[in-house]
Amino acid sequence: MDEQTTLLEQIMAYDFALYDLQLFLDTHPSDANALRDYKMALEQSENLKRQYQAKYGPLTPRYLPNTTCWQWINDPWPWDPKGGMNNVVL
Amino acid sequence: MWFYEKKTQYPVNIKKPDPRMAINILTQYGGPNGELAASLRYLSQRFSMPTKETKAILNDIGTEELAHLEIIGTMVHQLMDKVPPKELEKLHVDTIYAIHGRAVYPSDSNGVPFTAAYIESMEDPIANLNEDLAAEQKARATYDYLIRMADDPDVIDPLRFLREREVVHYQRFGEALRMVQEVMGKKKYF
Repeated sequence: MDEQTTLLEQIMAYDFALYDLQLFLDTHPSDANALRDYKMALEQSENLKRQYQAKYGPLTPRYLPNTTCWQWINDPWPWDPKGGMNNVVL
Repeated sequence: MWFYEKKTQYPVNIKKPDPRMAINILTQYGGPNGELAASLRYLSQRFSMPTKETKAILNDIGTEELAHLEIIGTMVHQLMDKVPPKELEKLHVDTIYAIHGRAVYPSDSNGVPFTAAYIESMEDPIANLNEDLAAEQKARATYDYLIRMADDPDVIDPLRFLREREVVHYQRFGEALRMVQEVMGKKKYF
């Protein structure tokens, strides 16, 4: 697995943990342990996203690297990991 | 993936309930030219888009349509809020109440449930983008009808915003169509 995919899968793992904790906290809003875990995972996720986006470009359109070019549209999109037109027959 | 933000894309704050207008607007929630159909259409068709520009525009307009679905749902909810059932009967919107109460359910104004038959998704990106242009124009026309029926500025204002977004989307889909035609080397002029 290349470095970009490894980093992205780490982000996906932390973000999934965050989402699962979010659902738990929705029905257990004063659970101190879940809140602590959420905070820890959030810090990890934010840190990994900072690294990823600086190296490989935006994960969301609200990340605007210091450049003159709109990088949001760039490959890879999640459903075409190799980018381009590989799986479209023209 | 998606992440929710606790705000609407455009402010909705309707002070005066109007159940008849709620039912008229309901078609933009789950009707043939509604926001749910629009979102599912574009988010399904994006998988068949051949360039990064067209993948992005289908993805991003499909996402914006979900925000529009929320605006319409909010409007229907506020227009129906706390209206007594007897009042609904007098206004002849009691048949919807009999099925769903004052809930927001994805149907058209006649209560016909949402169906994916309202949309198409084909491998041919030109077929998809032509459908998308038509869909935006039909939605724009629907907002026109709704604005003509409405008299409360709190209702007209968000409807005008949504109508304008249809025009912007139409423009972007036109550009996407031209890009795909260029890539496919088969220029067509309309």
